[in-house]
Amino acid sequence: MGDAAQIQFDTIPSFLGVPVGDLEDLVPGQVAIAGYFCDNLSRPAAEQRYLARQLRYASGHGKAPANAIDLGDVNVFPLEPDKHFSAVVSQCVAVLETGARLVLVGGDSSGLKALGTAARQVTGADVPVIEVTGGIAGNLPNVQPVILSVDLQELAANWVSHPHRLAGLSPAQMAAQIVATPGNVIAAAIYGLAPALDNRGSTEVRAALAILREVSDRLEKGAG
Amino acid sequence: MISAQKQMITTGYAGLPFGKVSQCDAGSVGLLGVPSEVDSGPRYGASLAPDALRKMTGQLGTSLPVNGRDLGNLDLSGDWLGVLMQLVTQMADRDVVPVVLGGASDVASAVLAAFPDRPVVAAMPLARRDLIERPSNTTWVGLNGEQPADVWDQISQRMMDWRTARQLDEVQANTLDVPERAVLWIDLSVIDLGHAAGAVGLNPGGMKPETLVSVIGAMSCSWHAIVITGLAPALDTRGMSELAAIETLNAALRHG
Repeated sequence: MGDAAQIQFDTIPSFLGVPVGDLEDLVPGQVAIAGYFCDNLSRPAAEQRYLARQLRYASGHGKAPANAIDLGDVNVFPLEPDKHFSAVVSQCVAVLETGARLVLVGGDSSGLKALGTAARQVTGADVPVIEVTGGIAGNLPNVQPVILSVDLQELAANWVSHPHRLAGLSPAQMAAQIVATPGNVIAAAIYGLAPALDNRGSTEVRAALAILREVSDRLEKGAG
Repeated sequence: MISAQKQMITTGYAGLPFGKVSQCDAGSVGLLGVPSEVDSGPRYGASLAPDALRKMTGQLGTSLPVNGRDLGNLDLSGDWLGVLMQLVTQMADRDVVPVVLGGASDVASAVLAAFPDRPVVAAMPLARRDLIERPSNTTWVGLNGEQPADVWDQISQRMMDWRTARQLDEVQANTLDVPERAVLWIDLSVIDLGHAAGAVGLNPGGMKPETLVSVIGAMSCSWHAIVITGLAPALDTRGMSELAAIETLNAALRHG
């Protein structure tokens, strides 16, 4: 096997092409991106769990964020909800306690719920969730820890292969909302999209990838 | 069987319980599928529309803004047009709003025949002569420029209100003069082919789906009946056309 083929074969696809690492590699302020392969617990819809995999496969172009790391996938137990929830919360706590910021990618909104519990355990107080559609944005102080919720079902029908609604945001509008998120964004969840695994899915996967990049940049910025 | 599958089998359109006309309360809707098929042209599949819409509302978790019953699909053997007129009339007599999911345009013709003197709001690309010749005026939504001259003359002479698809897409605030009560006919061919391809008619200069929803939703009109025709779901693998039909129907029912 030639060198080029060997390199291609050995390359592990990672989110946005960032290095792959583990918990002990994390440093404060770093953005840890993890896949969340669970789509049967909250607003269940099959195949939302494949988003993380598709985004890794689609991440081949563009400059990788300098301060981010692909942490692999969160261990999940989709058929045992109690065990699942406590396991995901404890993994999120372990990441946030390092001072890193965490992005959960894929699955349903149950990951967001676990993130909220984990953030409360780490900060000692309830952490507001800011929806990408706007919601409670406003007069939050820059130091206020917040969690960013990016529900990809808010994308307008033109951007997705199996639309749930006609009206919605374009990826550019969503990116603008992400940039404008107030507070100190310590964690984010990107979820709600079941990417079509054929050519039709390329538009929505590329849109989701651009949104992941914006989220990573926003988390790296920390306090808004 | 998982609960979602079971729910889709035991409930009808948008979660409505299946039932009969006699079980419909006054002020509610009676939803009837009439899976007739187009009899000419290369684009067909309208007969699949009622069940495709039921399936999609189940998948999306759609609910209607009003109560009602799903009356199932009409058996298209024998004099089904006569039976359809009879059913629609029965519902209207009970103050139930018939919501009829075609099917081809013959479904709408039968529904309109049950309300011969009522005004009509028609969302369609080409004005139909049978509508122009009705005693009450028709309000036209989404016409394109392909109408024969004599049709334009009649619309003009009768002072019927109309908007082209382009007018509606470009000037959202463009309000139409609509009657207090009317029959609503939505031919899905009114939507632009590039936005939603699942219609039996090709309409490259049609409306955006969002515009159709907002225009119908802005009408402060209550409906004697609503009929949707021309949806061919198999021609639109993304489901945009079904989604447009579902959201337009919901928008229409918000005002009654």
